[in-house]
Amino acid sequence: MWQQVERILTEAAQRSVESVAAFMPGVLALMMILLFALILGALVRVVVFRALRGLEFDRHASRWGMGAFGDWSQSHSLSAAVARLAQWMILVLGLLTGLTALDAAVPSEFALSMFRYVPHMLAALLVLVVGAILAQFLSRAVLIGAVNMQLQSARLMSVFVRWVLLIITASMALEQLGIGRQILVLAFGILFGGIILAAALAVGLGSQDAVRRALERKARQPSEPPGTPIDHV
Amino acid sequence: MASTGSSSSIAVADADSARPCDAVVGIQSYNDADTIAGVVASAREGMRRHAATGCVILADGASTDRTVAVAREIAGDECPVVAVDYRRPEVDPLKLPYHGRPGRAAAMRAVLQAARDRRAKTCVMLDARLPNLRPESVVSLIEPVLRGEMDYVSAHYVRHPYEGAITKSIIYPVFRALYGARLRQPAALEFACSTSLLDHFLEQRFWDAEGAPTGIDMWLAATAVTGRYRMGEALLGVRSVAMRPVAPDLSTALGQIVGALLVDLKSRAQLWHRVRGSVPVPVVGNVDETAVPPAPDIDPEKLRESFRLGYGALRDVWASILPPRTIIELKKVADAPPERFRIHDDLWARIIYDFALGHHLKAMPHEHLLGALVPLYLGWLASFMLEPGTDDPDAAEQRIDRLGMAFETQKPYLISRWRWPERFRS
Repeated sequence: MWQQVERILTEAAQRSVESVAAFMPGVLALMMILLFALILGALVRVVVFRALRGLEFDRHASRWGMGAFGDWSQSHSLSAAVARLAQWMILVLGLLTGLTALDAAVPSEFALSMFRYVPHMLAALLVLVVGAILAQFLSRAVLIGAVNMQLQSARLMSVFVRWVLLIITASMALEQLGIGRQILVLAFGILFGGIILAAALAVGLGSQDAVRRALERKARQPSEPPGTPIDHV
Repeated sequence: MASTGSSSSIAVADADSARPCDAVVGIQSYNDADTIAGVVASAREGMRRHAATGCVILADGASTDRTVAVAREIAGDECPVVAVDYRRPEVDPLKLPYHGRPGRAAAMRAVLQAARDRRAKTCVMLDARLPNLRPESVVSLIEPVLRGEMDYVSAHYVRHPYEGAITKSIIYPVFRALYGARLRQPAALEFACSTSLLDHFLEQRFWDAEGAPTGIDMWLAATAVTGRYRMGEALLGVRSVAMRPVAPDLSTALGQIVGALLVDLKSRAQLWHRVRGSVPVPVVGNVDETAVPPAPDIDPEKLRESFRLGYGALRDVWASILPPRTIIELKKVADAPPERFRIHDDLWARIIYDFALGHHLKAMPHEHLLGALVPLYLGWLASFMLEPGTDDPDAAEQRIDRLGMAFETQKPYLISRWRWPERFRS
């Protein structure tokens, strides 16, 4: 009997050693891939940072309303933030590639599913960038137009336009990432519909006297100033 | 005036209309039956007084009223009326030209080409909406050119000191400082030019450029000045224009005229960098001293409030264009009481130059940049009106002259930042 126990123990130990021996090359490959990704990530960060600084990316970005994103970086520079993001992307890709080198089903499937998710992430990033630029452009257009129309609430209108566009953009980006799709659509619809309904009720019911007085005042004013209109040119 | 011998005074590119003549009067019209009669009559009489053979070239954008028929009736056989075609664009109500003449560049080009075909010694452009145009005005425009004394004669109208403030505060000073000629109204719709200058005009490549419909008059004046042609101004009295049914708002008008100026600056940067100082432009003609233009109805306090509203809401936008020192000075102006509300000439010159730089460097979309200039312009106008004595025409004239000098003094500020923008970036 003791011979059988000894035989079983020997076989078990042998199987364990064989499993580890079969697993070790994958681990070594993972470590080598991670080391390579670390070095490459650092190199990419330096190159991207210098290239963006040379192109005056920070100045152009703040002109297009994306300067606030630079505050996410410790150095408050959008170029540094983008360079760091590129470094982390290299590291993550390296990790995922390393996981596929392991002869393990679950990590490999996880890595492959992450690779399939990358296009959605890039699309969401593109939506965010375009949305931020559009929000800046339209909010500034509304601000300048409202000021030239002598509207006292010009700044409020501009902020409202900017935030509506940013919320729409964020919703589209989250939908692209597949995060809470159903809830997102419902929440956005309720929020936006609620805002419009509240505004309509406020104007229709709560401000009807003020609107009536304003319209009567406007109707009493002559369409052109009395006397000779001025020719500015 | 030589008779054409033709039974019809209107010809479209036929042999009679191609007869050489001394003077050609070009008129752009569209549904101007109410006012074209006076303009054609004055043109005919003006040419007759100068014993010049001439004809009227009518660039009519397919009027739906009796504009062309009325012109023919008034012209008679003395002065042939030749109709030329040009492509009148569809009118966008939101983008009306400030002068109310869609397709002006195309119409003017057609007139100049017709004048060249007739080997005219001078070509005069008139607006069809001048009901009180006098024959003497036409003579004032034609005479210096036909005598060989000048190549370009611009109209100089007597205006109320508060009228034409965009021209007085921006167009004239910039034109004077950068191009070196003290042309009071560079964007005047009426002018006369010689044969050599007419050929030079037609050689230019800006006829189809963006902004040509609104900037063509100013671009032609700039072409004449920078081409070192002999310049002059003709006093034409008070300008009375028939009201248009729809006029563009101030923001649109300022954006068009100042935008056209800034586009021209960019194209001629190599020229105006070398210009130093300015020379006065000779003035010809006489005006009725008793004629007083009507005072416009405008409240400087409302203008001041518009400026203060603009400062409060657009400060961050202005900070993208103007340096911090200018923003601080504008804050002092915004906080000043009405009696001390002043935008000084040097400050104003630097503001305009910074906007020109912003336009050149594309600091922001051009529509936004020019829209952000409107409250600043209203602030300048309020400052001008609140200054004692500026309601007097002579005092206002001297005041504008000092403003022009300030623009000349500040020109190195513009040149240094134009050449080396990265040095001055904050």
